[in-house]
Amino acid sequence: MIQKKETIKTACMEALPLALAIATYGLSYGVLATQVKFSLLTAVSMSVFVFSGSAQLVTVAMLAGGASLISVLLTVILLNLRNLLYGAALAEGLAPAKKWTALLAFGISDEPFVLATSRFKKVGPDPLYFAIVTGMFYIAWILAAFFGALIGNQLDPQKWGLDLAFPVTFAALLVPGLKGKPVIGTVLAATVIAMVLEYLKPGNELTIIITGLLAPLVGLYLHRRTNHA
Amino acid sequence: MLNQWLLIGILAISTYLSRLIGVVFMARQKMSPSLRLYFNYVPIAIIAALLVKQIFVPTDGQLTISLPVLIGCISTAVAIKITRLFLPSVVIGIVVGLLVRYFLI
Repeated sequence: MIQKKETIKTACMEALPLALAIATYGLSYGVLATQVKFSLLTAVSMSVFVFSGSAQLVTVAMLAGGASLISVLLTVILLNLRNLLYGAALAEGLAPAKKWTALLAFGISDEPFVLATSRFKKVGPDPLYFAIVTGMFYIAWILAAFFGALIGNQLDPQKWGLDLAFPVTFAALLVPGLKGKPVIGTVLAATVIAMVLEYLKPGNELTIIITGLLAPLVGLYLHRRTNHA
Repeated sequence: MLNQWLLIGILAISTYLSRLIGVVFMARQKMSPSLRLYFNYVPIAIIAALLVKQIFVPTDGQLTISLPVLIGCISTAVAIKITRLFLPSVVIGIVVGLLVRYFLI
């Protein structure tokens, strides 16, 4: 019992700063979702049922560019591939939850993965820790989407420059992660590939998927070269 | 309206499946480190592609650079590098982009 309390306390303390960060992304998502004609209900519902920052932000940005359902889906599948890695890495640490593992799996994404792997390394399998961390993120994500959509509904998009919010949000998501040759190489390659595709066929539906498939190969190549040098 | 619910449903299912499959089926398999890296580079490639699509907009079948977007993005990039704060950096980018829109164009 004491151990349980300790786990809950640690989980809350470690998750809180990240929950605040997630809330700021969620706020942006909520505002952006209303710009592509999502209602308060559908914007929040997407957060409730999908619960994925990258998938939801990319979805609304693609819809803003007039993308079709099928290209949004393919891009999200591509984005979600990394969840396979996270799940595989977390499986052992979540195993004691038995049949509840399927429920906990709903919370797998970037931030919980980072927190939980370091926790499992320290104390071994700990599903309770994972449940509390993801639960806090879930609440933060949904509340933020709600307030974001509420704000977005009140503002005149052109006047407040909310159309500018899409690219600017993605710039803010991209820049802090630009560290190391492979990552920077991936971004440069993606920029060139996307520009060529758009030049060949302006408004190309396939630009994002093709870029998402090809540019990481450049990062991989650079990673290998730096490691073997 | 129906389309939005359809979209939410499809995204919810595909996203949850990617999470569940990882935990249930991939756990016992050794994944190659290359595949691991590749998957990790995918999101940044997609974000970069989205940015390109928003900076270079097609008008009458030709690509034109949107200066408000480009300068707004650069401002946000600089702001987040310095402040490391997400929302303030986004707001700065929007404000600068708006100023460019109203005063330069």
